[in-house]
Amino acid sequence: MVSEELKVINPSGLHLRPAGSLCKEALKYDSKINIIFKDATANAKSVLSVLATCVKCGDVITITCEGKDEKEAMEALRNLINSGFGEVK
Amino acid sequence: MKIYGVGAAEGIGIGIAKVVKEQSVEVVKRNISDIEFEVTNFTEILELTKAETEEMSRSLEKNASAKEAEILVGHIMLMSDPMLIDEMVNLIKNEKICAEYAVEEVCNQYAAVFASMDDELMQQRAADMRDIKDRLIKKIMGLESNDLSTLPHGSILVAKDLTPSMTAGLNPENVLGIVTEFGGKTSHSAILARALEIPAVVGLSDLPEDIEDGSEIVLDGESGEVIVLPTESEKSEYTDKKKKYDEAKKLLKKYLTLPSVSKDGKQVEIVGNIGSPDDVKKVIENGGEGIGLFRTEFLFMDRDCMPTEEEQFESYKQVATAMEGKPVIIRTLDIGGDKEIPYMGIAQDENPFLGYRAIRLCLDRKDDIYIPQLRALLRASAFGNIKIMLPLITSMDEIREAKSLIKNIKAELDEKNIAYNKDIEVGIMVETAAASLLADLFAKEVDFFSIGTNDLIQYTMSVDRGNVKVANLYSAFSPAVLRSINRVITEGKKAGIMVGMCGEAAADPLLVPVLLAWGLDEFSMSASSILKSRQIVSLCDSKDLRAKVDKVLEMGCESEIKDYLKKISEELGC
Repeated sequence: MVSEELKVINPSGLHLRPAGSLCKEALKYDSKINIIFKDATANAKSVLSVLATCVKCGDVITITCEGKDEKEAMEALRNLINSGFGEVK
Repeated sequence: MKIYGVGAAEGIGIGIAKVVKEQSVEVVKRNISDIEFEVTNFTEILELTKAETEEMSRSLEKNASAKEAEILVGHIMLMSDPMLIDEMVNLIKNEKICAEYAVEEVCNQYAAVFASMDDELMQQRAADMRDIKDRLIKKIMGLESNDLSTLPHGSILVAKDLTPSMTAGLNPENVLGIVTEFGGKTSHSAILARALEIPAVVGLSDLPEDIEDGSEIVLDGESGEVIVLPTESEKSEYTDKKKKYDEAKKLLKKYLTLPSVSKDGKQVEIVGNIGSPDDVKKVIENGGEGIGLFRTEFLFMDRDCMPTEEEQFESYKQVATAMEGKPVIIRTLDIGGDKEIPYMGIAQDENPFLGYRAIRLCLDRKDDIYIPQLRALLRASAFGNIKIMLPLITSMDEIREAKSLIKNIKAELDEKNIAYNKDIEVGIMVETAAASLLADLFAKEVDFFSIGTNDLIQYTMSVDRGNVKVANLYSAFSPAVLRSINRVITEGKKAGIMVGMCGEAAADPLLVPVLLAWGLDEFSMSASSILKSRQIVSLCDSKDLRAKVDKVLEMGCESEIKDYLKKISEELGC
């Protein structure tokens, strides 16, 4: 399993649209991917689960990936989050 | 019967009530035997609903706005959630129950979770979940969904609320008004009604349950008045009102393409005030000749961290590009102790309007606030006619310090070969008594003035406009305020710089002739006032007016001035 801490920098946080792109990306990989924030763990492949974490701009989340393609999955999600989901150009 | 709600989209609607009843669907927990059929059927319906939603979203994008369509794209995302689908399917399989009950259970659960969150956006998700639930259940049970595309011509739509899926099919040709029980000025139904230009009253908490389908109904989308079964005299009153409203609208449309020129040929600029790049559209639609005030506070508020230089650059560039070379005056950050911005770490001021705000704060926080903003402004100036405006100026030192910062950033950009407008104009807001008194000196130091009347009145009259006990002192017609305005325009003109105004007074129908005669070059206001002001300008002869309006400088009472200007306005036929 790989795990990494990432800061969410896009202004709206993990609201519907960014949460949607995150899930879309996560669904491309076989690995089990979780988002851990505060005490809650969310399934990164479910937009509802991600929304329920209520992550806002500036929050630091932990992403864990477990599976054959865990490294690739982590890299893709890291790039997406660091790019600000296209909200920050 | 008269009832009152919130006027959400202006205009007068007269028509026949078409009551759209929420079909209350009773979901019964049924046990099923053919699980496989139930699951396959459910999956098919889910796919079908998704496809339909996509169709609706496309039609909404075409007929209303992209923002509305986006809500439906969100619905598709939610309906594609593997966790949501799994939960529903598992419930059907494990409990051997019907699909509609599984949908109801699971969607309600999520709606409840979202509704309990202390976050407005999340609560909207609860409404989304309920909308999705209703649509899926009706589809599974083979019930008709409310189809508004078939409403006959002359309908006034009466409903509890409009959901995104309902409004998608709305035909603005046939619907002459909208009346809803729920909602406020910013609710979904209100936004949509304005986009479609359908008069609407929302938030009618006492909407009678028994408005009958087919009853006559009239509404005023500005005052929020709705009359069910109007009497003959009420009906003719509304018919008159509608005629007047439609005529006024037509007249104003006429001014959309005309320049802002007075009878004697004096040309001025009538421009818009905006608070975010989204507001630009309205200014252009209303014939604005530029942006006279772009407040940059929005970029810094309702968030948890400072906007980056890039983010600011994108916003400024967006506005400059959209205005296609027309002037765009951007005011640097005007924020202080009266607004709470936790991440900035600004202490609450005991007297915020006399305290640490605007240029004072910015010059004290150069590295993290001011330099990034000025650099973003300069970089964006390569994409249009951006001018920089400094707020709350009271001293020459402030102007010189800001100008020297700009000079240093220009040198840095030159070194890095980054494009910007080398001749960018830098001006000041004249909104303090100090700036007005020193207008002759400041005029030699800057490229333009913009009189900010909202603060100028407050500081000249020493009155807090929020305090109802003294609010009567807060008036642009106060002799002191008018003398101050006259002085600023005169000194600005003497030095040969542009003088504009960006407070509410710039659009006051009684003051427009005065300001025009005194020589104001630019009037900046909210988009909705632009055409009316252009009409007033075109009715004025500025030379002829000069001697008349100068008389107000000799008057000592606010009420006397107001009465006098009312008379002038009547003579002009405004």
